[in-house]
Amino acid sequence: MTATLTKNENSAVIRVSGRLDTVTAPEFESVLQTELGGIDTLTLDLAELEYISSAGLRTLLVAKKMMSERKGLSVINANETVREIFDITGFSEVLEIA
Amino acid sequence: MEAPARKRGNFISRHVAAKSILGIVLMLVVFFLLVSIVGQRTFTRALLDQYSDGAFRTAEAAAGMLGGGDFSRFAQSGGKTEEYLAANTLLDELCNSSGATFVYAILPDRTDYAHITFIFSLMNRESSYTHYDFGYVRETTNDEYREKYRLICEEGSPRELVVRDKGYIETDPHITAMVPVSGPGGEVQAILCVQRQMDVLTSSRNSYIRGITLVLVGLAALVAAGQWLYLDRVFLRPVRRITDEATRFAAENVQSAVRLTETVKNRDEIGTLAASVEDMETRIQAYVGDITRITAEKERIGTELALATKLQAAFIPNTFPPFPDRSEFDVYAVMDPAKEVGGDFYDFYLIDDDHLCLVMADVSGKGIPAALFMMVSKIIIQSCAMLGRSAAGILEKTNEAICSNNKENMFVTVWLGILEISTGRLTCANAGHEYPVFKRPDGGFELYKDRHGFVIGGLAEARYREYEMQLEPGSKLFVYTDGLPEATDASGAMFGTKRMLNALNANAQARPKEVLAGMRAAVDGFVNDAEQFDDLTMLCLEYRGGAK
Repeated sequence: MTATLTKNENSAVIRVSGRLDTVTAPEFESVLQTELGGIDTLTLDLAELEYISSAGLRTLLVAKKMMSERKGLSVINANETVREIFDITGFSEVLEIA
Repeated sequence: MEAPARKRGNFISRHVAAKSILGIVLMLVVFFLLVSIVGQRTFTRALLDQYSDGAFRTAEAAAGMLGGGDFSRFAQSGGKTEEYLAANTLLDELCNSSGATFVYAILPDRTDYAHITFIFSLMNRESSYTHYDFGYVRETTNDEYREKYRLICEEGSPRELVVRDKGYIETDPHITAMVPVSGPGGEVQAILCVQRQMDVLTSSRNSYIRGITLVLVGLAALVAAGQWLYLDRVFLRPVRRITDEATRFAAENVQSAVRLTETVKNRDEIGTLAASVEDMETRIQAYVGDITRITAEKERIGTELALATKLQAAFIPNTFPPFPDRSEFDVYAVMDPAKEVGGDFYDFYLIDDDHLCLVMADVSGKGIPAALFMMVSKIIIQSCAMLGRSAAGILEKTNEAICSNNKENMFVTVWLGILEISTGRLTCANAGHEYPVFKRPDGGFELYKDRHGFVIGGLAEARYREYEMQLEPGSKLFVYTDGLPEATDASGAMFGTKRMLNALNANAQARPKEVLAGMRAAVDGFVNDAEQFDDLTMLCLEYRGGAK
């Protein structure tokens, strides 16, 4: 898993690639905890995310809660496998997915 | 631990000192061979020069005596004329006083020099040989002599020398100096030869070789002994100390009281080696200490984890058949955590005589945190279920309870069903869990894409919807966690729901226990050597019909 952060004034885009699972989720979570000060709008670009496990979903929940008091979080470019996992777990109804 | 015995090879290959000394001795031998060859050459040449010089002087004196006149007066004298006898006496004296062995004047035959005729022939009195008589004719000894005779007679050579100093059996080593006997006009009339023995040459050369050999052996011994002492003192003793210390440390694993750098005082690479070995011992000891501590800690954690595993397994229904007196349904379930404890769980219990609650759940993450969260979730779900709520009501109440105190944002996906045993009516709700699989009595297993709510623990305001399934006698239900479709083989491919359904339908008519065994075998066959990555939990229910 690699998470590449791009900031632009108050908004940020994180491109997540590889697998987001028990092993890599803590790394992603620390990016969320340390890099998002002063960010209003967060976009997660999942175009290169191959797989997300429940531990990875937990970090999305963390991101959502962090952004809930700000302008918001949107998730883009999720592939079919990841989208299916979102559907099954109900995340697709809770997250703003484009 | 004992140091491995290294006894292969002979003495030399096993000792550094012996190897180095052997090398030095070999070099000495080569050096002395060169010196003695060069020395012997020079020696021989100098001695030979001296020898031949004397012989030529004798020969020239004799030739001067015989030459100047007509030599045929001697050749035709028959060895008896007064003049011949007088000349013979003079030559005899010359021979004895000059130290020559043999003085003779010859007439070679001028066609091919193959024969010579002796005119004068005088042997030293101390010699054991006898002289040739006047007029004696013999064959020329060899081609070398023939060539020398020719050079003197035809080419006008003033001096010729034949050296015979090796390999001759019939005569001792000797030289023969030849000079022409010239007539009044300078023409060559005869050849005068003086032979000298080379006994002095050979004997002094032998003693020279003996001497040089003695010096060589003595020097080699001296060098070997010196080298041995030097090597032993400067290199081998400290190296042996280091080797002994390393062997001792390997066996005892305790640092010695006397530091190695105190016994090995070299300031060279050996000193550095000793310091490194000492440093290594210190580090190894610290490391061993660390490992011992860590191992003890790990064992303690391992013991606790083993207990936790048992506790978790005992916490969910694990005796089968669970309801031996209920013939209306058959249920079987398995839980295999990827680590010692897992976040997956199944559960089932009778809410009342006619209602069986079935739960399949999966906590986010793995290991101990997931296991703790699982225990809490299981208890809350069961408590809510026992209060007689609907399937969706149970999930909503559970979600509220968990969300009220969930700072770590853990969540759990739950599929929950309540079976009305008498009618076969199954009321279900799904909080973000995998799709259930149903089988009608006359059909195959099929994935049922039910309506999903959000995972439990994610959002306090989440709402869940219920749906109903009508089970007939022979209907089956299969629920599982994502560890099953997401089981991965060595190449990274996932098991998937398609393979899962195929495996179920291969065993469609079997009892729940066999259905799960068949599924386990199918997953193991697919995953093969890859490590089990996620928890693997599944449950199968067969409905047999309401009570009669």
